[in-house]
Amino acid sequence: MTEGRTEEAIKEKLEGRFGTNLSNWIVQRTRRMYVELPREALVEVVQFAKEELGFDHLSTITGLDAGEHLELIYHLFAKGLLLLNLKTKLPLSDPKVRTITHLFPGAEPYERELEDMLGATVEGLPPGRHYPLPEDFPPGQHPLRKSWKVSDAYPQEV
Amino acid sequence: MSKITIPLGPQHPALKEPGNFMLVLEGEQIVGATVRLGYNHRGIEKACEDRSFIQNLYLIERVCGICSHSHTTCFCMATEDAAKIEVPKRAQAIRVLVGELERVHSHLLWLGVAGHEIGFDTLFMYAWKDREQVLDCLEMISGNRVHYAINTIGGVRRDVTPEQKAEILKRMDILEERTKYYIQLATQEPTVLARAKGVGHLPTEEAKKRGAVGPTVRASNVPFDVRKDDPYLLYDELDFKVITSDSCDVFGRLVVRVFELLESFKLIRQVVNDLPEGPISVKVPRKLPAGEGVGHYEAPRGEDIHYVRTNGTEKPERVKVRAPTLANFSSIAYMLEGGYLADAPIVIAAIDPCFSCTDRALSISTSTKGEYSLSWEDLRKLGIEFYRSRGIDFTRIAK
Repeated sequence: MTEGRTEEAIKEKLEGRFGTNLSNWIVQRTRRMYVELPREALVEVVQFAKEELGFDHLSTITGLDAGEHLELIYHLFAKGLLLLNLKTKLPLSDPKVRTITHLFPGAEPYERELEDMLGATVEGLPPGRHYPLPEDFPPGQHPLRKSWKVSDAYPQEV
Repeated sequence: MSKITIPLGPQHPALKEPGNFMLVLEGEQIVGATVRLGYNHRGIEKACEDRSFIQNLYLIERVCGICSHSHTTCFCMATEDAAKIEVPKRAQAIRVLVGELERVHSHLLWLGVAGHEIGFDTLFMYAWKDREQVLDCLEMISGNRVHYAINTIGGVRRDVTPEQKAEILKRMDILEERTKYYIQLATQEPTVLARAKGVGHLPTEEAKKRGAVGPTVRASNVPFDVRKDDPYLLYDELDFKVITSDSCDVFGRLVVRVFELLESFKLIRQVVNDLPEGPISVKVPRKLPAGEGVGHYEAPRGEDIHYVRTNGTEKPERVKVRAPTLANFSSIAYMLEGGYLADAPIVIAAIDPCFSCTDRALSISTSTKGEYSLSWEDLRKLGIEFYRSRGIDFTRIAK
């Protein structure tokens, strides 16, 4: 397929359906596209991408502490098409997001990781054990927050 | 019959790495399984934020002891995308070459482990003996058997000489012959068939739904291979096939891996015979401009993905690593259910799990004792003392 055509087609379809909810499109190169969306629209967009556009593989979810908010990036892949990176922001005061495990059961460890490592709250995630932190890790501490230090959890080690 | 729950692991459930599987048994049959991971969490992602890009390369290389090149290549590709760096063709070719040699080494290692898990230790010894051929190639090119350190941001660190090329081709011929023997063995040997056929069933739909990757999903008849579906480096110019199997069990995973060895030899020959001329790296500034990039790579165990965000300094803002084993864990619980306890080790081993990769990220150990080193003799004494203080005396036999 001609360079850039697939990217444009996917972008058009997503925009046609969700319009102004989507912002800051970046087509970085062939098969790499980034877009931002509000967290309220996230589940619907993921569902649409999966069911209508063929993004049937969730590669992973990246979470990061961006200062005033947490940023989540859902990396969706459609074989032979492109890697779509959906970004959404969660305010630190209320870091909630809905689960996508009903669409991608394999997302469970990725979502648990967001809860453990960044302190996001994933609503609708079935109760279960921690991943990847140990059960006796001090509650309320999230290692991937920029303010976290090893000494917070292990004072004796430093 | 009443149900009992037994823990398998965390010590040595199948491979020599920690992972815990709670198995609910009804007699010999497994009726439920839950997986518990995280024992190898080392804080690599957090540690990356504190180090420069070059230092991170060496840290990322240690995410995994087997697919070390996969992780650094994936990290480099993500960083190079973020900083808009063009990598020379020759460097890309050398990355492919080392990547495919690594795949050969990893698949042969797995073949040996699989043989060991089904009680077929002859296969284990054969496969690991042959694996030395490819490890020698890697050592010759890079100076190391497992942590090759060939990658750098913007290219590779060492070139390949004509003598090395000739040696690689010679060894590939030996390995190809051996692989043909393994193919025959995997598809005809009654011991292997009895232990692998129909074991650890994972239907196509279930594999897709659970997001399985690599040989695990290809053995469930899904032709998903990042090298074909999201070609990186030179893969879109090279000729190779994506191997799948429709048997959806351990046997399929075995077949996919041994046939993939042949494809890797094909790729290695193409790269070695047609190595592009030119420089092997470009100069990259220490501070990289702000940006972001995703590395997508087909590691021997499946899809590996790294996300890197740069912020204009010499350290990354965030590095995210998702190794293939994590994507396959959801499928393990499914594969174990309905099977027999005795098959659990081979079912777990069949995804070729790599717990270290999977658990990457916490607990940074900074010892208060300071640094000190022990000689082999001291270490031996320490071991004897350690056991003696616990009531086991080795003094008599340890002379």
